[in-house]
Amino acid sequence: MLDLEIITPEKILVKEQVDMVEAKGAYGEFGVLPGHTQFLTTIEIGEIRYMKGGTTNYLATSGGYAEVLDDRVTILLDDAELAEEIDVEKAKREMEEAEKALKALAFDENQYKLMEMALFKAIMKIEVASKRHL
Amino acid sequence: MATLRDIKRKIGSINSTQTITRTMKMVSASKLRRAQEDLEKVRGYALKIEELTGRVIQNMPDDAHPLLAAREDVKKVLIFAIASDRGLCGAFNLNIGQHAEDFVRENGHFYERTGIYTFGRKVNDYLQRRKYDIVKSFVDVKKIDKEIVDVIAGHLIQFYTSGEFDKIYLTYTCFRSPIKQEIVFEEFLPISRADSGEEPIDYICEPERSKIAESLIPKYVSTKIYYALVESQTCEQAARMTAMENATNNCGEMVKYLTLVYNKRRQEGITNEMMDIVGGAEALRGT
Repeated sequence: MLDLEIITPEKILVKEQVDMVEAKGAYGEFGVLPGHTQFLTTIEIGEIRYMKGGTTNYLATSGGYAEVLDDRVTILLDDAELAEEIDVEKAKREMEEAEKALKALAFDENQYKLMEMALFKAIMKIEVASKRHL
Repeated sequence: MATLRDIKRKIGSINSTQTITRTMKMVSASKLRRAQEDLEKVRGYALKIEELTGRVIQNMPDDAHPLLAAREDVKKVLIFAIASDRGLCGAFNLNIGQHAEDFVRENGHFYERTGIYTFGRKVNDYLQRRKYDIVKSFVDVKKIDKEIVDVIAGHLIQFYTSGEFDKIYLTYTCFRSPIKQEIVFEEFLPISRADSGEEPIDYICEPERSKIAESLIPKYVSTKIYYALVESQTCEQAARMTAMENATNNCGEMVKYLTLVYNKRRQEGITNEMMDIVGGAEALRGT
């Protein structure tokens, strides 16, 4: 078993024992099983999954850091939401706003990259939300 | 000498003061509760970031990141003092001001320059009146949020990396419990690497360790500042609550005392009048 902790400045999202964790790191997706070597990575915008007793839980995140140490997985995120807690309507609005802003911006402006990230985050949220348990 | 009516007026005025202080106490109590919740939320994150940063930068070379490089010749130091904009919270602001002041007085002659960066109107006014070298100040902050923190972190990092200051201290009030707060005075930049004696952890890093450190260190700096600000804010409410509670109690005592004086004085007046009447009646009977 792995001790998983997912923490954001807002709250402690997850603190429990799980079988497996998967997330998107700097060099692509990675998975952690018990006995994993000491590992440190950045977390990119995307999805985090953890499996526990046959069920899989999903989170959408905007990035952060993950550390694996002696079967303890600590994930520190700037911002994250459990699939069950995502406000899909809000995410859709954010997506539309970001799209609108992107159309108005020139490709080389600083803002462009920020809006692109915002768009990506919103899409990710909607995608993760669709995987929630009903 | 105060007349009966003066005393009565005073009692009235103290009673209304008591109403105000009692209300303020209630308000700070509810604000404290909210602040404490915020603090609990951020505390877990801040401590974890600190631990993680500690492990990542442990025995990294000095030149790995500009904020790690301690300067041999420390000439200019900066104190970042966090207090609040508003008063009526006991010695809360004063404590921070005096702490900074003591440091400058005791150690100031070792350095070419000891600057102070203040957060909060009260501590700024206090230090400015005493003519300390205030480098920058932040006043009238409505709400502590990410933007403010990023601005402050930017300033501090800029001060250090540009060589304007060689060492930055941080002083703020740390919340232990609603009745116990402690003042913290610690070195902030350069980031010190505690030599715990443990073997450094040989992580597999993605991307390379230095890349992670590059993004993690600024994150650590702003998280630390954010945490300190939230701590300080919580303490302010706690301090105000205690101060207002004391004020309310004092008002109560004062009213009690003044009522006693008032009653005594009134009785005295009545007695005197009676003596006059009796004396007058005696005199009349004599004729």
